[in-house]
Amino acid sequence: MPLELSETTATLSDVVTVDEVEPLVAWLRITSKPKVNLRRCNHLHTGALQALLLFQPRITSSPTDAFLATQVLPLLRGSSGGPVLPESEPP
Amino acid sequence: MTTVMLVDDSATMLMSLKSILTKAGYTVETAGHGKEAMDKLSKGVKPNLIISDVNMPQMDGITFVREARKAPGMRFTPMLMLTTESEQTKRNEAKTAGATGWLVKPVAPDQLLGVIKQVVPGA
Amino acid sequence: MNPLLAQFLAEAADLLSQVDEGLLELERDPSDPELVNEVFRAAHTFKGSSGLFDFPELTRLTHAAEDLLDAVRSGKLSLDSGMTDDLLAAFDLIRGWLAHVTTHERLPATAGPAGQSLIVKLRGPLGGEQATVNPDVAAALAGPVIDRAPDWLALFDPEWLEKTATWLSSTSATMRFVRFTPDQGCFFRAEDPLHLVSQVPALAKLDLIQPFEWPPAEEYDEYACLIGFALATRAARGELDYLFRYVPDQIEIVELNGDAIHRYVAGEEPPQPRADEAVVAAVAQSHTENLELARDAHAILAAAQRSLALEGSVSGVRLSAVARSVAAAAAALGVPVDTADPDVETLKAQVANLLTEVRPTPADAPPTPPPPPPAERAPVDRGRADDPGGQVGTRILKVDQEKVDHLMELVGELNVAKNGLTFLADAAEEEFGSRVLSRRIKDQYSGLHRIAEELQAAVMDVRMLPLSVAFSRFPRLIRDLSRRLGKTVELVTEGEDTMADKDVIEALGDPLVHLVRNSLDHGIETSADREVAGKPPAARITLTAVADGDAVIVEIADDGRGIDPAKVKHKAYEKGLISEEELETLTDSDAVDLVFRPGFSTADQVSDLSGRGVGMDAVRASVEKLGGAVTMRSQLGRGTSTRLRLPLSMAVTQVMVVSVAGQRFGIPVDLVVETVRVPSAELGRVLHQDVVVLRGEVVPVIDLARALDMPWTPDPAADRAILIVSMHGQRVGLLVEQFHREVDVILKPMEGLLAYADEFSGTALLGDGLVLLVLNMKEVLSLAARAQ
Repeated sequence: MPLELSETTATLSDVVTVDEVEPLVAWLRITSKPKVNLRRCNHLHTGALQALLLFQPRITSSPTDAFLATQVLPLLRGSSGGPVLPESEPP
Repeated sequence: MTTVMLVDDSATMLMSLKSILTKAGYTVETAGHGKEAMDKLSKGVKPNLIISDVNMPQMDGITFVREARKAPGMRFTPMLMLTTESEQTKRNEAKTAGATGWLVKPVAPDQLLGVIKQVVPGA
Repeated sequence: MNPLLAQFLAEAADLLSQVDEGLLELERDPSDPELVNEVFRAAHTFKGSSGLFDFPELTRLTHAAEDLLDAVRSGKLSLDSGMTDDLLAAFDLIRGWLAHVTTHERLPATAGPAGQSLIVKLRGPLGGEQATVNPDVAAALAGPVIDRAPDWLALFDPEWLEKTATWLSSTSATMRFVRFTPDQGCFFRAEDPLHLVSQVPALAKLDLIQPFEWPPAEEYDEYACLIGFALATRAARGELDYLFRYVPDQIEIVELNGDAIHRYVAGEEPPQPRADEAVVAAVAQSHTENLELARDAHAILAAAQRSLALEGSVSGVRLSAVARSVAAAAAALGVPVDTADPDVETLKAQVANLLTEVRPTPADAPPTPPPPPPAERAPVDRGRADDPGGQVGTRILKVDQEKVDHLMELVGELNVAKNGLTFLADAAEEEFGSRVLSRRIKDQYSGLHRIAEELQAAVMDVRMLPLSVAFSRFPRLIRDLSRRLGKTVELVTEGEDTMADKDVIEALGDPLVHLVRNSLDHGIETSADREVAGKPPAARITLTAVADGDAVIVEIADDGRGIDPAKVKHKAYEKGLISEEELETLTDSDAVDLVFRPGFSTADQVSDLSGRGVGMDAVRASVEKLGGAVTMRSQLGRGTSTRLRLPLSMAVTQVMVVSVAGQRFGIPVDLVVETVRVPSAELGRVLHQDVVVLRGEVVPVIDLARALDMPWTPDPAADRAILIVSMHGQRVGLLVEQFHREVDVILKPMEGLLAYADEFSGTALLGDGLVLLVLNMKEVLSLAARAQ
């Protein structure tokens, strides 16, 4: 299951496709202090990323996937008040 | 399990693409033209990717893509058109109709498999 | 021959005749767009398929022909007889090549020059052969072109930009910067921008382009893509072009070196035209682009605000860089601000102002105009009055197959509605006590019944085609193959004017080809062998069709060496298909039947001719799918004949209705041998299998309810109703609850949830409105076998 929803935490794993976007958004709409676990997530559909940007849930676990961890997570942290400008070494 | 639906009026093309995909572990559904493919979609076949020729009798590929987008569960399914080098305008038409991208015939196995990975996350 | 090539050659023959026919008709009526389209499509398919093989001359020639036809199709050229000649010549040449390919699996050595001269002719009307200059090669030779830094570079963190610029300068390297702005509806083309971004090789930096303003949660449309990306990568330009090739309109790529970035950060770069006037013009031009620009501008302003807020005291070059991007963004929004001599506080205020003042609400977004409805493309049946080639005296109407199919469906529904009248008649008598009304309804029914039957017959007649349609490919096939094998074969066809339903004719094609190839390959001896055997040197293959009541019988007979039953038995035994006991006891005719067993024909007898990966078991399966049967007789040394018996029409099926556990099912009547009732005590049991003894023969009995997994306990005192069916000459009894009548039904394929339930071959609507499931006996029997 790419998307598992509990009362306060959404666990995203494997490949999160566009099919998961609607339930995720519906859950984010009704959940007051949502937490999202991305640890086992390998891919996030753009629509899911967008939803996380809009609703700004707390990201409780960093993804193990390299691309998500190094490139996408900073974007999420940046928008939710974390360190805005992550360091990235020039090549 | 990723299912790919191939739509082409050329049995040769179907056969060659099908053998590439089957060897790569995909499940393959085939149809000889757009109508037949629509039929399969309406009967509950739910591919993760559709690859369709452009020029076909009965229902051409672009009309097919436009129709297929409306079929149940096909709203967000990647669809690729099989085109030739000279069919530039067709590609734009296809995109307007809802196609995700295209392949250029003849399709080399590596290229085909690469494109599938590109457009189907997790394939 | 490799099966793909064989398939291509078979398909090519069809395509070639389509092209020839089309071109000749076109010459008569050059203005018919449908004709041009048909010919073009055939040529097009040809080219596409030919590209799968290593026949470059063939691909080039078909390509040239296709281009010419495309120009005709699009109205750029009108077809004259000179062009038609060239096109016909091209396809004649191709036909010759393919004949060569059939025997040698390669093109003739002369293909290159012969093809080239025709290519020149075909390209003539198009303005000659194009010079091929590859712009990419030219570009690569010139080295990378350094672009000007775009204003959206402000999306990146200035500090990172500076560090990167320094690094690039000291290594004289360049980097590609990409701005990726997907359109709102992109998810509906199954695009996933982040997935594309994740595939960017050597990604150095990724930043977001956020919407100008997020819509409130309750109005948020999760399927509208509102975000975009800006990224920096060391991937080559070509890699990026390839990756983003499906979305070129959403992508802007610039190539920058350290200097360009430095100049940008230092604010020394002269403003890009895009940043002011051009941008404003573009805004006026298109509302959609306006939104996109506004989104960019907002993102830039937000980034500026972030860096101003964060760094506390921004000064020097950094400050002027920020100021420049603010100015550019402001200009793009149509609210120019003066940032000539910036200080942090003014700039902060200006940014804040801009951000609050210019807020496009979602309502500003113009509804994307719905795509124009696709033009109706009803197939046009052109009158043929002007066609000089038409027959004199008979007027032939060309009708779309689908229309005939539709007619057939309507007839089926009429039958159902008609049958409803008998129920009404019964009700009139039983419920309303009016025998008179009942009789009058029955009279009406019989009148309607007669008309419905005639209508059905008339529609079936329209669907009938002569067997000659299926036979027509064989003279050429046999001629070609026999020459190749060095055998002399004469083909005799009889009864070609026998008619059968179009679906039957179509479905007959493949099994027939297989059987004829088998005959040629295995059955027929060489002339020398034949003379030794005292036969005439020329072998004979006879294709015969005769009508037999509701069926058509097609027979393929040869006078070849026949099948050796002993050899077949031995081979079947080696392959483990029969037991040692069967090896001893099987009769010769049963032995011949072994060739239909799955797994019998395998590699060692697969030849390049008949070995197409299908054996006789596939032939039998495909004939049985049509509701037919295959039998084979062979006499050693005298020849083999294979007989296909097929229903004349697949449209109407006669089924016997039975019920099991209260539910009714249909069973195709041609499988039913008889119905018997036996006292339950006479049912015996042999090796866990219920059996019944009928006239001395032991027949296995299957409980249909159990096979279909339906709960049912028969009344122990009552007689057992057993339906005897025959499958492959084997008798099997089906234990059912009750027999009902036989009915004619129009079988419809299974749909929806049941589409994969193989135990049913289709559904039919009964007169009383009930849906009848028709059993696929083969599957039911194997289900029963598995259940035991």
